[in-house]
Amino acid sequence: MTPTDPRLLVHAYLDGELDPAHALEIERQLADDPALAAERERVEALRRAIAEQLPREGAPPGLARRIEAAVGLQGAPAPARSSSRPSWRALAASVAVAAFLGSGATWLTLSPAPPDADMIVANHVRALMATQPVDVGSSDRHTVKPWFNGRIPEAPRVVDLAGAGFPLVGGRIDVVGRTPVATLVYRLRQHLISLSEVPGRTIATPERQIAGYNIVSWTDDGVAYWAVSDVAAADLDAFAKAFRAAEPER
Amino acid sequence: MGSLNSEDDQARFASVVLPHLADAYALARWLTGDRADAEDVVQEACLRAFRGIGGFAGVNARAWLLTIVRHAAYTWLGKNRSASLVMVDDLEAVEQQQASGGGAFEQGPQTPEAALIAKADARRLEAAIAELPVPFRETLVLRDVQGLDYREIAEVTKVPIGTVMSRLARARRRLIERIGTDEPRGAA
Repeated sequence: MTPTDPRLLVHAYLDGELDPAHALEIERQLADDPALAAERERVEALRRAIAEQLPREGAPPGLARRIEAAVGLQGAPAPARSSSRPSWRALAASVAVAAFLGSGATWLTLSPAPPDADMIVANHVRALMATQPVDVGSSDRHTVKPWFNGRIPEAPRVVDLAGAGFPLVGGRIDVVGRTPVATLVYRLRQHLISLSEVPGRTIATPERQIAGYNIVSWTDDGVAYWAVSDVAAADLDAFAKAFRAAEPER
Repeated sequence: MGSLNSEDDQARFASVVLPHLADAYALARWLTGDRADAEDVVQEACLRAFRGIGGFAGVNARAWLLTIVRHAAYTWLGKNRSASLVMVDDLEAVEQQQASGGGAFEQGPQTPEAALIAKADARRLEAAIAELPVPFRETLVLRDVQGLDYREIAEVTKVPIGTVMSRLARARRRLIERIGTDEPRGAA
């Protein structure tokens, strides 16, 4: 179905849901039709009023604890929550990006690509939920590194950090933007660390935490590195330091 | 990486469900209209989510959880506020009628100035939103309070995207008329 009533479409236009062709058409009509322009102003005023007057409130403090207790989680490490309430939506947005398949609404545009950090975290979350967090499982870097040959243009830097307390679990291919990238998985005790290596990419905004996951990012030799995990920030920093200090074995 | 066990389920629950508790609670509160009831609804929904965590496809956790919360809230409304749900069927019928009849768009008797709308305070907005029939209210809340996009709202409310758009437009128009006509000077 293609809705044509401009008073309906103006809402989708203001919500950023129209494809460019329909957006242009609405802009043309807004310029020609004072009544439609007034409607746009009213809708904008309403959206602004709601955003300013009705801020989102968090869940009541006791609720999370009761629910954790109800499912037997009390006392267990809860990886994705803790102190990060404001950034939950960032993760939701990133996880949502891959979600939308075939709705048949041709007048809708696609959501813009999320920042790299969001996609890196989304990849990590996805990996944690998969049957296995790696495509190639091995603690031997001489097995993991060659596995990437032929799958991505540049084999990743793989180092052995078992001595530093971060044994290698394996590797997998993630997608950042539309680019397949190498991700190594290391372990600290029972926690997994995803390390994505993105050649030729700059780190626009060095996020430290998204949706409760800690993030460390750096650039070496033109490769952007992103480490994501639910381990404590200090542990992740130690991991990054150990990785960067390990002798190159290219 | 063995088969799923209870610990895997708990870990998944912690990473899939718990990050979206605030969104779950917000939707439940707008649907039930009450904080304590919203907590009950969210708790019930989370138990359902935990039992069904194996069926989560791993794509959009927030939309998945909100779908379950909405279902739990509807169950709760059916038990406690069945009058508010009668409206759903009526509205659907009206909407279908309007869709087949060329999508006539109700125009209110009065179209208030944008400046008046912008001045609406939290209490007036909350009251006006609470008066919306449930299908309009949930669509508006999911979009304008919780920031979901049309596709996510379509997924959560189980209607086509075109219906999301028309419900949202109607919800906003009702709010605009309500805020515009209900002059605050004498309001208690």
